[in-house]
Amino acid sequence: MSSTLNSTGAGTLNKARGDLHWVLKTTEDSIATLVACFQGLARHADSTLSLAAAIVERVEDRSVSSVLSSVQCLGAAAREFVGDRLGATSGIIDTVTAEMELLRKLSMVTDGQANVAARIKMLNVHTKIEVAHLGKVGASFEYLAGELADFSKVLAKSTDELIRHTNERKSATEKTRQLFSVELPHLREELTQIEKNLSADLAALQSGLTQLSNAPVQFRASAEVISGQIAGVVVAVQGHDITRQQIEHVQEALNSISQAMEMDGASGKGKLQEVAYSHAGLAIQISQLKAIRATIADWTSRVRGCLGGILEISASGLAEIGPLVLEQERSMSAQLSHIELLERECLANSERIRGTLEGISNLSQLVSEHLQKSESARNRLRMLNYNSVIEASRLGAQADTICVIADGIAEVSVEWTKITEQSGSALREILSLSQRINEAMATFSQAKSESLGEAQAQTKAGLESLRDASTFAVAQGQKIGIETDAMQLMGSEAERTSGLLDSCYARIDAVLTLVEDAKSQLEAQYPDIVEYYDSERIERSFSATYTTEAERDVLRAALYGTEMPVLQQCAMGNDVELF
Amino acid sequence: MKRILTVDDSTSVRQMVSFTLQNAGYEVAEAVDGKDGLAKVGAGKFDLIITDLNMPNVDGIQLITAVRKLPGYSFVPILMLSTESQADKKDEGRRAGATGWIVKPFNAEQLVAVVQKLVK
Repeated sequence: MSSTLNSTGAGTLNKARGDLHWVLKTTEDSIATLVACFQGLARHADSTLSLAAAIVERVEDRSVSSVLSSVQCLGAAAREFVGDRLGATSGIIDTVTAEMELLRKLSMVTDGQANVAARIKMLNVHTKIEVAHLGKVGASFEYLAGELADFSKVLAKSTDELIRHTNERKSATEKTRQLFSVELPHLREELTQIEKNLSADLAALQSGLTQLSNAPVQFRASAEVISGQIAGVVVAVQGHDITRQQIEHVQEALNSISQAMEMDGASGKGKLQEVAYSHAGLAIQISQLKAIRATIADWTSRVRGCLGGILEISASGLAEIGPLVLEQERSMSAQLSHIELLERECLANSERIRGTLEGISNLSQLVSEHLQKSESARNRLRMLNYNSVIEASRLGAQADTICVIADGIAEVSVEWTKITEQSGSALREILSLSQRINEAMATFSQAKSESLGEAQAQTKAGLESLRDASTFAVAQGQKIGIETDAMQLMGSEAERTSGLLDSCYARIDAVLTLVEDAKSQLEAQYPDIVEYYDSERIERSFSATYTTEAERDVLRAALYGTEMPVLQQCAMGNDVELF
Repeated sequence: MKRILTVDDSTSVRQMVSFTLQNAGYEVAEAVDGKDGLAKVGAGKFDLIITDLNMPNVDGIQLITAVRKLPGYSFVPILMLSTESQADKKDEGRRAGATGWIVKPFNAEQLVAVVQKLVK
């Protein structure tokens, strides 16, 4: 070995050692920063998990998962409630329309009655004139005149009463019809809207509740993943210590080779063996450096991956569930309020229907009384007719006019009978209407909405629990947000530091180039130098400081040409072997 | 609270041992090499010691040997934590009085489980 080559090679190797020192220092500093970041991240991750655990506990404590079934019951009950009232309202409109037709018929009846009353009054006047004309002979007809006068008054009074009431009912019925004609489309619209909103809200709530209900599972999974990532960082950081030792061993080897190259005393075979020792040493260090580069890349990548994993998991969905569910709870509560409002409207409608029912009841009472009076009047008219006919036949030709009056009474009696039958028919119709209104009332009654009330109570309780859990989740989510923000800062710091480690690869590559150059120079001067290898001495000498099996495997591969060992770092670390 | 001493010339390894065991509820003291470790053992009582093998000044084997001679430390568990995995090194450790051997890198969960078992 020439002295020029000696000094050049030694200088190259010293520079390589200096570069390796830089790598050692840089990795040492970087790992210190990374460890600080990691400890901070782990602390914040722990706080995040505690906050998330509190959310999970609250979710489980409040039985949030049962809210959905309550809300679904409410949806079904509300649909049934509105549907029933929709049907009943249609029925009421039909009933009211029928009542209006009935009132028109009653008006015709009262018109006929008024006409009959007027005709009886005329017959009374004729009878009085005839009684005066007949003198003593017609005294028996004074009773008939009196009866007709009295009957006319009673009939007029009853007819007036019926007319007044019928007119009142016409007005009230028209109002009811108008009201329900407006109410029906409104109820239809409400039903459609409730269907639509409830379906949308239920779908959203289901999604939110599923997320919230999954929180415990998600939390446990996150906790497990974070725990795994932390364990991964613990292992990867130890990887640094292993490479530190390996770099130190390369430094020591380069120092030893440098010293061997600088020894200029030997000659002949002895010198060739020293050159061979240096050449083999350089070949081994090249392999070791390549393995070190791969190992640093491996643990740097694992530290980076695990720290990123901690950040990612910690910032995952748990913090966002609260606001999401709270928003859905608000929407659902608004639906509940809307249903309550609708319920109140239906209750007000129920009052209006009760008014309609009372009106019809009064009408049926009045028509019933009127019918009784009509039947009594019909009997009296018949009696008057018989009496007047008998008296008139007893008087003979003198009572021709009375016979005409008797015929008039007979005609009125027939007409009155018809009117009485019409009143009876009206009464039956009124009773039928009353029955239909009663049925509608049953639908609108409180008892029918019990199922809705129960569903509302359950939903209210469920939504209160949901509100409590989601409000708590929102508050916890904000705290988680603060933790994850701090973690993001540490993550950025860790990322910057990882960037520094990347620069180590370039420096190791530079060292590799220097060592390979030194080796090439030896090969150029001694092309057959491999033939002078004393493998046993070389292995013993260079492996003396080795502390890992990986280093020994690399040495053997470089020295004996066996396959380079595949990088096998235990990702989860090694177990304890107890003696 | 049980006290554990971790002895290693590598700051990062000491930090990882401390982090792992502190999270498991132990009080952990650190020593930078065997000499420092012996000083710490002399100054206070520990329920378990975890030591590296290759360290400047006093190495792991020397530390164990010295600790075993101290009063009250005959049965205190001592775990070796080293990159070495050779059987002869492990034998040397056992003969010196080590309770167990862990090849770096250690598995955090396993380490905690064994420490819990040893310092009950």
